Amino acid sequence: MIIDHPLLGPRDAAEFYVLGDASLIERPDWQDDNAAAAFDSYMHLRDNPAGEHRELWFHEQGDRSWLVVTRNTLTHEVVKVELARDVALALGRST
Amino acid sequence: MAQINRIGEGLVDTSRTLSFTFNGDTLAGHPGDTLASALLANGIRFVGRSFKYHRPRGIFTAGSEEPNALVQLRTGAHQEPNTRATVAELFDGLTATSQNHRGSLKFDLLAMNDLLTPFLGAGFYYKTFMWPKSFWEKVYEPLIRNSAGLGRLSGEADPDSYDKGFLHCDVLVIGAGPAGLAAALTAGRAGARVILADEDFRFGGRLLAETHEIDGADGVDWAEQAVAELAAMDNVRLMSRTCVHGAFDHGIYGALERKTDHLPKSGGKPRQVLWRIYSRRALLCAGATERSICFGNNDRPGVMLAGAVRTYVNRFGVTPGQRVAIFTNNDDGWRTAHDLAEKGVEIAAVIDSRDGTPPAAPHGAMVAMGSAVTNAAGRHGLRSLTLTNGQTIQADCLAVSGGWNPNVHLTCHQRGRPVWRQDIAAFVPGGDLPVGMSVAGAAKGDMTLSAALKAGHGAGNAAAKDLGFTASRKAAPKSDDEAADVTAFWQVRESKTRAWVDQQNDVTVKDVKLAHQDGFRAVEHLKRYTTLGMATDQGKTANVLGLAIMAELTGRTIPETGTTVFRPPYSPVPIGAFAGRSRGKDFRPYRLTTSHGWAEEQGAVFVETGMWLRAQWFPQPGETHWRQSVDREVTRTRGSVGVCDVTTLGKIDIQGRDAAEFLNKVYANGFAKLPVGKTRYGLMLREDGIAMDDGTTARLAENHFVMTTTTANAVSVFRHMEFCRQCLWPGLDVHLISATEQWAQFAVAGPNSRKLLQKLVDAEHDISNEAFPFMACAELTVCGGTPARLFRISFSGELAYEIAVPARYGDAMVRALMAAGEAFDVVAYGTEALGVMRIEKGHAAGNELTGQTTARDLGLGRMVSKKKDCIGNTLSEREGLNREDGLTLVGFRPVDRATELKAGAHFVVKGKPVTTENDQGWMTSVAWSPTLGHSIGLGFIQRGHDRMGETVIAADPLRGNDIEVEIVSPHFVDPEGERLRA
Amino acid sequence: MPDLTLTAQPPLGGFSHDFGGAKLAEIADHALVSIATPNGGEKKLAAAIKKSYGCALPRPGQSTLAKDGDTRLLGLQRDQMFAFFAHDGDQALAAVANKLGDAGYYTDQSDSWVMLRLSGELSWTALERICPLDLHPDVFAVGDVARTMMEHIGAVILRDGKTDFVLMSARSSARSFLHAVETSIRNIL
Repeated sequence: MIIDHPLLGPRDAAEFYVLGDASLIERPDWQDDNAAAAFDSYMHLRDNPAGEHRELWFHEQGDRSWLVVTRNTLTHEVVKVELARDVALALGRST
Repeated sequence: MAQINRIGEGLVDTSRTLSFTFNGDTLAGHPGDTLASALLANGIRFVGRSFKYHRPRGIFTAGSEEPNALVQLRTGAHQEPNTRATVAELFDGLTATSQNHRGSLKFDLLAMNDLLTPFLGAGFYYKTFMWPKSFWEKVYEPLIRNSAGLGRLSGEADPDSYDKGFLHCDVLVIGAGPAGLAAALTAGRAGARVILADEDFRFGGRLLAETHEIDGADGVDWAEQAVAELAAMDNVRLMSRTCVHGAFDHGIYGALERKTDHLPKSGGKPRQVLWRIYSRRALLCAGATERSICFGNNDRPGVMLAGAVRTYVNRFGVTPGQRVAIFTNNDDGWRTAHDLAEKGVEIAAVIDSRDGTPPAAPHGAMVAMGSAVTNAAGRHGLRSLTLTNGQTIQADCLAVSGGWNPNVHLTCHQRGRPVWRQDIAAFVPGGDLPVGMSVAGAAKGDMTLSAALKAGHGAGNAAAKDLGFTASRKAAPKSDDEAADVTAFWQVRESKTRAWVDQQNDVTVKDVKLAHQDGFRAVEHLKRYTTLGMATDQGKTANVLGLAIMAELTGRTIPETGTTVFRPPYSPVPIGAFAGRSRGKDFRPYRLTTSHGWAEEQGAVFVETGMWLRAQWFPQPGETHWRQSVDREVTRTRGSVGVCDVTTLGKIDIQGRDAAEFLNKVYANGFAKLPVGKTRYGLMLREDGIAMDDGTTARLAENHFVMTTTTANAVSVFRHMEFCRQCLWPGLDVHLISATEQWAQFAVAGPNSRKLLQKLVDAEHDISNEAFPFMACAELTVCGGTPARLFRISFSGELAYEIAVPARYGDAMVRALMAAGEAFDVVAYGTEALGVMRIEKGHAAGNELTGQTTARDLGLGRMVSKKKDCIGNTLSEREGLNREDGLTLVGFRPVDRATELKAGAHFVVKGKPVTTENDQGWMTSVAWSPTLGHSIGLGFIQRGHDRMGETVIAADPLRGNDIEVEIVSPHFVDPEGERLRA
Repeated sequence: MPDLTLTAQPPLGGFSHDFGGAKLAEIADHALVSIATPNGGEKKLAAAIKKSYGCALPRPGQSTLAKDGDTRLLGLQRDQMFAFFAHDGDQALAAVANKLGDAGYYTDQSDSWVMLRLSGELSWTALERICPLDLHPDVFAVGDVARTMMEHIGAVILRDGKTDFVLMSARSSARSFLHAVETSIRNIL
């Protein structure tokens, strides 16, 4: 497979490490009243869509950036590739 | 033996003669021959025995679709079984033998299998050899394995080498026949980067086998000119002997290039190269493969595909027989008759299954329209044919044409489904092609030359334009449209004898009928039940026949019946090519510490830890058992001083205004308040609350830390921290870079370690206990100005340090440490002694950090801060991880001190049976402690801390011993930590 | 007490071999210092680099050459580059820090890598056997740099001439890396 890296252009998937669902960016607030339940869901409950799936890929043998790759699990089509950092910032994550 | 069937030049170089042997007979051929063409030239039709029934078989095709003519090439360790004689290029000294027979080829002892047909039909595995049950493994299976099959491996290691590689192009053209050449020309002229690959050793495809004209010139000459034009283009790469065998995701193709297979000796170069080709567009111009017709004994040597017969005559100047008959359902078969007659070969008859007026027949040939062959006779080679009207025709070769199947294989590799085209009675590529692929020429169903040329020309231009190149205006090459009418005709129902569908796997029409009768009517079931299309040829000449016959049996149309799809590889790829260079020591890279050369000089025994080679212990003269070495290393370290290379621990350089805050988040314990010049032990959790890794982190400056990780987790911890940095807290100013390789780091441990280091650390740096206490760290210089880092940390429990110097000084540094330590009787210790000392001290390591244990289990529960946000602290509070009867890490010693403990033993309460229900934990690490003089262990046991002094059983049913052990503190040595603060 | 002055050793002892058509030589006289861009400090760092080196901040995948024609800044990550320059001794980090001050975070990487120069008309052909990247000069131009994987070993590749490449890989696996590159050359000769 080819991942079209937003900074580096097309690179072979062999250079990457795949973590899984990009929802891992949305780490709950530890001081939330329901923190335990929220973390349990964050950690253990994932969607398994047949179709488009947002995934975290790490360019380990490359620029060490984490990417959010939107991939169709049925066709392997890569629909979109973003820097995970940008996605996280857009979600309001900071410090 | 003379080349009795060599009737002309063709495209072989008859001015040079090559000598080769087949089953020991010395034969002659010419450059440009394949083994098959040379065998036929020498009048050899019978070349092998079939898979199951050991039927005599001959050469059936002239290409990689060959089901029958599988031979063994070369001898000794170089021997390669199952090579298709039709693609093996002839070279001087080639040695070939036939396979799958016991005794000689002609008198095969296993030919009796043919008489056992009633027992060996489709699904016989499930029916015939069932009882008694015990016989399957001991009798039936060995018997079947022994008698069925293909060639045999030499049993020796493959002496050849293989390589891999990566290629990139705008347009990959697969197949260099008329369509492929035309496509490569237009794409190349437009300026696209083109790779043109063909499995043959000569470009031209069917043009080499035909007598066509293109643009008024001979087709072969046109191909040659096209190749010359392509070869002159910088942007075109021509790859002959290269089979593109698989279409993978996103325009990636697999291709096997045969580099030295056509040479007598490889000259030490890789025999084959497995290429990964990255393409933006791919044009599949793979042509078409002819299929047979099912009639009685249609597998006799001498029965061949009509297009192949034409190939041998036109390309190789070889006639497969002296008196040839043609059996066809289409116009193409008639070409064979004409081409052969043109070359002076006697045509016995043309038998056409179609009714109506026959096309013009060669002079003297008998013509039978609306007729068919019902049987072929001649056990070791065709002698005669019987027609539906009972007429017998003498012939030593029958050229059969049942029509042509477009080579759609690669279009299916991404689950594409071919569709049926009734007008050409064949499957063509469906609409769901792999991304970036288009198909042109016969592979798409353009069955005439002019159509193929036009389609290839257009496809090359279209691909180039699509990629932004400007197409050249040169016109497409032109030729006449040859007659290409076909009427589907699959089997001769009048045949009374067995008719073969799949020759390589010995599947007959009767087997298809049996599958139908037994209810295996879906194509995928038909395939599995009969093994139709499952041999090395992947049913290239058989699949469509089989499913067409199934369609007839079920009364459905072929589109209703459907078709199986293809997987890579298109043709077989040796396992050696997939392995590439990764054999023996080259299987994977290895990593060496900078003291490796020195350790080798000391006679160290090395152990692989991950990819690292580390000194395990350093045997001294007189030591005959590893324990002697390790005991000495431990005793002398604890008694005076020892040195150990600890470079392999992961080191991560962490800088930034928010570096401390970041560490506070990734470590379970606090780091924000760690003073500059201090080191702290850190425990890292996974988000689910399980311990992930541990190590020490030193604060070198306000915004600068250096973290150590365990050797095994260096990569995964770095990845995790980048995840935290980029995905969780992107607003923090923190930057990571690995420094593992930058520093050669040595542990210097033992009561005399400070004295030793004082000899090396430059005098201006005070490392006295007061100035440089336990857990201190500093950047300083050693040996007269060499930069170094010193950490006062201890894994052994002794007064100890770790000293790091830039890796270029690693070798010099270990020598300096040993020289400076001479006065203290310094000892070098390896990973075993390191392990013994950490067990004596009760430190957890890989055996304890199993990915199942929590901080609490490790006795470090109080380290997990509740006052801050850090990875894992929320979920570490889960009820299940905090059970009253949870596991805790404690020490164990044998009640009978003379007993040796075993890691992996499970604990049960004394007097209780050794069962899973009574399992209370397990022993994780054991060692012989030379300090205490007995075996000690670490392990997890329920409520361990509350059970100090209790005796339990360490049960080891696997090795058959139960040992009484006492639960003790894990800190066997210096539990108060006085030594390391000394 | 013997003299305990420490002498430096390059990872491959200064390996050099001309294979004919391709030459492979260890680079032992260059330093490598990573420069990380502080969050929000890109402009400041760019200005410092412009001032001290006379060149621009490289984008990931590209490099910029300092005005002195020696120091090359290799853009490896969004917020990280390597300064690659001729240097003898242990003060590489200071050499960079003295120029750029507190505009960046620096880590000496000189000893972390084995550095090889592969040159000659067959260099690209040899690299086809191990390097997954497209090295066509239109795609991977002079000055381009990339981190990738060769024979399962992480590597950095820099093109600093039409047929000249600098290959870097982890010091500890220097021998395996050399073996991989050498084999690639021998296999195509």
